[in-house]
Amino acid sequence: MMYHQMPIPPRSEHLWRYTPWSRIQPTKNGEVPDVEGLTFSTPSQVTLLVNPLEQIEHTDIARAFLLACNGENVSVAIEETAEPIHIHAVSNAETTVGTLHIEFKGSATVFVHLSGEGSWCGLHLTANVNPNAHVGFGFINDLGSSCNLLRCEDWHIARDASVEHATLSIGGQRCKSDVRSYLNQSGASVRTSVTVSADEKRHEDQHVEIHHLHSHTDSDLVMNSACDGRSHFIGTGLLTIARNANHSHAGQVFRNLLLSDKARAEAIPELEVLADDVSAAHGAASAPVDESQMHYLMSRGLNHEESQSLIVSGFLLSAFSNLNNQRLAEEMQHQLNIHLEDELSG
Amino acid sequence: MRVVSEEILRIENLHVSVAGTPILKGVNLVIHRGEIHALMGRNGAGKSTLANALMGHPAYEITEGKVFYKGEPLEDLDVFERARNGMFLSFQYPASIPGVQVGTFLKKAVASVRDEPPKGRAFRKELTTAMEKLSMEKAVLSRYVNDGFSGGEKKRLEILQMLLLQPQLALLDETDSGLDIDALRIVSQGINEIAVDAGCLVITHYQRLLDLVKPHFVHAMIDGAIVHSGGAELAHELEARGYDWLDVAA
Repeated sequence: MMYHQMPIPPRSEHLWRYTPWSRIQPTKNGEVPDVEGLTFSTPSQVTLLVNPLEQIEHTDIARAFLLACNGENVSVAIEETAEPIHIHAVSNAETTVGTLHIEFKGSATVFVHLSGEGSWCGLHLTANVNPNAHVGFGFINDLGSSCNLLRCEDWHIARDASVEHATLSIGGQRCKSDVRSYLNQSGASVRTSVTVSADEKRHEDQHVEIHHLHSHTDSDLVMNSACDGRSHFIGTGLLTIARNANHSHAGQVFRNLLLSDKARAEAIPELEVLADDVSAAHGAASAPVDESQMHYLMSRGLNHEESQSLIVSGFLLSAFSNLNNQRLAEEMQHQLNIHLEDELSG
Repeated sequence: MRVVSEEILRIENLHVSVAGTPILKGVNLVIHRGEIHALMGRNGAGKSTLANALMGHPAYEITEGKVFYKGEPLEDLDVFERARNGMFLSFQYPASIPGVQVGTFLKKAVASVRDEPPKGRAFRKELTTAMEKLSMEKAVLSRYVNDGFSGGEKKRLEILQMLLLQPQLALLDETDSGLDIDALRIVSQGINEIAVDAGCLVITHYQRLLDLVKPHFVHAMIDGAIVHSGGAELAHELEARGYDWLDVAA
């Protein structure tokens, strides 16, 4: 179905409960705004190809909307490479939209850095991971503080391929991400780490879907957020294990650290398990900074602010500690440290 | 004959409550520099409460009495100021802090207590020397603070911090629990090294630690108060006779 044919999704739908469509789209319901293309570039040794948009039908309103906007459409094919590849996406016009398709033909580590001072940014990333490819992917949202973001990703992971997918979200005002991974064949796996640092009135909605469509598939999701000021974070995870996906393993953990009385956080893991012989677990917790940790650090001479800052940075960094791809983990930790140092220096 | 040196800690009629429940009911104790005091008592007698209250844990409310550290009222100092002024508590159950590497934490603690950032090469040498004394692997520096540590690893990390921070008053809360014989010997060497220039309050249930860390004074705590004090021989007596004979005194 095309965007103009789609009904507005009701808030009773899990996906739209906390950030309804009318709050994240840049114009009135049913309208498609004039957009400029998101600017993609890379200093790495890969070629970004600009393609015409393929008109495909979506069942999801966000993806259909991004297609209807007809923004920049770029694709890149990545062969086996040891050197990390960095792709920059910049949103500097009022309303920008871009589509990026990555074809992973071999193992590689790729970072997408999103930045810019526009008012509204839409990004749809699709990726195919070929059999036996082992992919590290880092997404860094460093948009300006007044920009709203709608981000959709669709990952298709083939036989014996693995993806380690890390998100660091520190930019933007109102952000909604919808990242979906499809474990299409036996031996496929995805490991997802999300770190969100929110303050002031920032609103961040992270939705992660992982679909086990075949037997012997593994997934793991860790989502950590630290919310200060009057910020609001929503983490929702939908984990499905199809009827034939026996011998699959899946786990989801959501942890939210509340740094002020006015900050809010929701953590909602959902499981739909149709197979019998699987292991699936989930957990969620929202809490203020642990008093015993504060006391421990203060008893070593750190004052209140230094202690809290160290606990928060450790908490956020720990979401990346489940990544096996060292280059991915180190770059994500590096990017987070830059952000935390900027925050400390005001 | 021992020469009495500078008074480090004076506790006068200390009463402490936790969540409204009185735990300490009139503790009196004086510790001088260079003295090792052992505090023994049954579970729940109030030993750890004393250590935590002295270090300023917010859950421990001082309801009566006074504590003076180096002659100044302790209540005027926030927790971090106590540490910066030379107080150190080796926790019975140290908190784990996921995501914070031991090396980073040690550098920050040393910088805070010494009031200047530690100098790279000199600090690395100091750290290496201290870790060698405690037979600790360097790999521990990149692990997260106490996260996934065994009981013995946690206690060694506590003593490593003590060696680096060089406190003037060391409160050691059951530092011997969970240690095997070899680890106990190593940890005891660390305590003895600090005890030369500091006042030490060693909380323990066992004589085996006091065989290695020789106390000048031993105190028995019953129901929130020190009811009997003596020399090192008291620890042997307590180990042999238990605490029942002191109930009358309490």
